[in-house]
Amino acid sequence: MAPLIEATGLVKEFRRPRRDSGLTGALKHLVTRRFDIHRAVDGIDLRVGEGESVAYAGPNGAGKSTTVKLLTGILVPTAGEVRVAGVVPHRDRIANAKNVGVVFGQRTQLWWDLPVGDTFELLRDMYRIPAADYRRSLGRLTEVLEIGPLLPVLARKLSLGQRMRADLAAALLHQPHILYLDEPTIGLDLDVKDRVRTFLRQLVADGTTILLTTHDIGDIEEVCGRIVVIDEGRIRHDGPVEVLRDALASASSVRFQLSASAPLDLIRERLGDAEVTAPGERELVVRFDRTTRTAGAVAATVMGLVEVRDLRINDEGIADLIRRIHRPDEVTARSGAA
Amino acid sequence: MHTLRVYRRNLGAHLRATLEYQADFWILVVAAVLTQGAGLVLIATIFARVPRIHGWGVWEVVLIFAMMVLAQGTSELLAEGTWGLAGLINRGELDRMLLRPYPCLLQVCASRVGMNAFGNVTVGGGLLVTALLHLDVAWTPARIGLALVLLPSALVIKVSLTVVANSTSFWLRGAINTFAAGMDQLGELTKYPLSIYGVGLQAVLATALPFAFIGFFPVSVFLDHGRLAWIGLLTPAVAVYCVLLAVTVFRRGLRRYESAGN
Ligand SMILES: Nc1ncnc2c1ncn2[C@@H]1O[C@H](COP(=O)(O)OP(=O)(O)O)[C@@H](O)[C@H]1O
Ligand SMILES: [Mg+2]
Repeated sequence: MAPLIEATGLVKEFRRPRRDSGLTGALKHLVTRRFDIHRAVDGIDLRVGEGESVAYAGPNGAGKSTTVKLLTGILVPTAGEVRVAGVVPHRDRIANAKNVGVVFGQRTQLWWDLPVGDTFELLRDMYRIPAADYRRSLGRLTEVLEIGPLLPVLARKLSLGQRMRADLAAALLHQPHILYLDEPTIGLDLDVKDRVRTFLRQLVADGTTILLTTHDIGDIEEVCGRIVVIDEGRIRHDGPVEVLRDALASASSVRFQLSASAPLDLIRERLGDAEVTAPGERELVVRFDRTTRTAGAVAATVMGLVEVRDLRINDEGIADLIRRIHRPDEVTARSGAA
Repeated sequence: MHTLRVYRRNLGAHLRATLEYQADFWILVVAAVLTQGAGLVLIATIFARVPRIHGWGVWEVVLIFAMMVLAQGTSELLAEGTWGLAGLINRGELDRMLLRPYPCLLQVCASRVGMNAFGNVTVGGGLLVTALLHLDVAWTPARIGLALVLLPSALVIKVSLTVVANSTSFWLRGAINTFAAGMDQLGELTKYPLSIYGVGLQAVLATALPFAFIGFFPVSVFLDHGRLAWIGLLTPAVAVYCVLLAVTVFRRGLRRYESAGN
């Protein structure tokens, strides 16, 4: 069976105006029109079968959102081919739109100045959803996403968590069999995150094909069966999520933001076998073995030695983590240099 | 048909929201009366000194003026969203419109309702009726037919030119489009008889930027006024041309759209 999403040699270049500073620079640009070419997506081959749930992960600026925009037809590829459910998205935007749902975590798809319920009705009209289907679909989504009370509220008055749930409903009203999610849990509270993940798991169980970009290991572990890691526009890793889960079970890390620079030697002395690095002047990352110590103990030790402004557990970059699984030496060398 | 119905509902939803949450209908009407009143005062002042300008009497000029105000109100009602196009492009917000199975241009047009739309439609319509009553027009069937073709054509021209002006945002790339505002201001000149301007300007307003087909030429042919009145018969053709131009320029521009990085 042909894959549902199929990208071959996909390339997207952006032209950035090259301007020297000052007025002469601006004038020169007007005349010469020089541009820097930036390759955001650099030859991606991706096949996603029906019913798969794929995490598309990678550091900031890796090209995740650009890939989603290419797959949804918002952007026209510089080179390469895309086909989604037999349709070339940028060539036949409207046919493609009916097959897919899209959620951008950072940007709402709702009409900003309309009540949520009005948005849903407009979408019903645009997608030509038959009345009975619409009622069923809306009923189900309002129930699972608990958005009933939000229907009369203006989209711009919603909290981030409410907005995300309304956005999910808006993307799913027409019951698409493919759902793209670009950082769907970014900035959400833990309990909303949980609800969204549970909902997505349910969709996958019901047969919806999902492609989800994220920085969040939780999204990947709980929703996806396969992870594709991209960095600098290229695919670096493609495999089942279990591999990642195993790595997480034994390794863990805490990242600290400090008020002053860290007394590295002292911290290393206290933490024994843990790996302590300082990626920035007031930043500290401690990697440790979960079987011998806990994140809490590590945090307590560090806080006893230096004033901590903020700390995050396990937010090691996913790309780093994957690289560590495959090429442990390379990353150690990199963090040593930092 | 489906497309039009969705457009109407989209606009209706924004209209409801505007009225419900933002504005008071009558305040807006008063605002329009005050704004357009300035133009009327100018006309009154001039005609207090001279009975005719280039052969045009006061109520004839008011009729041109009324057409322009009505057209402006219509464009604020139907295509106000295009004034936000530069911002939409700049912030990458056309993304969400491109994701829906509905023409992007119509979504842009319906994305806002102009605050002055109701005021200008009311004032323009009122002035139109008042001028016609004073002008003692012989309402033969032919003349009624002519009016029924000229009026919608004129409104379509205004709306299309607004779309054209703002579609330049795809090329200009600023967060606001000063070119479009300038073009609109130029169009305002046609609120008064075209013949008071220099030949060059007349030519521009009749051909390249055919704003004169919103008020001046249709009124000329309707009142059978002057040697060149027949040009007004071209109004429907100009309307078709302007619609095609608007759609083409918007489509071309949309091909340049590159979304926005975060
Ligand atoms: N519309 C755009 N115009 C110019 N550059 C862009 C645009 N969108 C993205 N980029 C650039 O392309 C690269 C990849 O961006 P993006 O796909 O948004 O990354 P990610 O989603 O993985 O964080 C970044 O360097 C970004 O600055
Ligand atoms: Mg992104």
